[in-house]
Amino acid sequence: MAETEIQEATTVDARGLVCPMPIVRTAKAMKGLALGDVLKVIATDRGSVADIPAWAGSTGNELLEWHEEDGAFVFLLRKGAGIG
Amino acid sequence: MAEKLVIMVTHGPDQPVLASIAFAMAGGAVAYDVEVVMIFQGDGCLLMKKGVAETVAAPEFTPLRELLPTLREMGAKFIACSPGVKMYGLSQEDLIDGVEIATAGRFVAEVMSATNSLVY
Repeated sequence: MAETEIQEATTVDARGLVCPMPIVRTAKAMKGLALGDVLKVIATDRGSVADIPAWAGSTGNELLEWHEEDGAFVFLLRKGAGIG
Repeated sequence: MAEKLVIMVTHGPDQPVLASIAFAMAGGAVAYDVEVVMIFQGDGCLLMKKGVAETVAAPEFTPLRELLPTLREMGAKFIACSPGVKMYGLSQEDLIDGVEIATAGRFVAEVMSATNSLVY
């Protein structure tokens, strides 16, 4: 996706947070976004690698991509028409 | 909120890992917009005493002092069992504001109307 879109994404900084806060913060932030908006989530809990894609898949949001960066996991999610 | 998860908590502050797992699962559920009802029974009732949850933390889990207010903000309901409350000499005013006191009949109703339930 275009770099400009990533820069415009709302960011949840969940670094240092542990179960279940990364997914709780992600869900809360997503509620405030509009359909099609992109949410960036940065987490350090390894469980997020399983949690966030599963959450996105079950809540009608789209995981655009994720990668490791500076010891953290970075996720880009696009708000869908489902819950969250 | 079409789905409901009931989480029964039978362990108290002397079992912080079990208590923390119960609250972590509640956190996961509210993130999915699942209606959460936490039922505190026996020693679990102590977690609903004012000031107690703030002291409960297990390594690598979110401390209850942070998680509990988040759960309430996201609509989780807390119900304490009457025998457990009385066993510890507690009454409604000793409990966190908004916690209901009920007995088995209500708990069965909650469980039977839930999508699923967990016991810790």
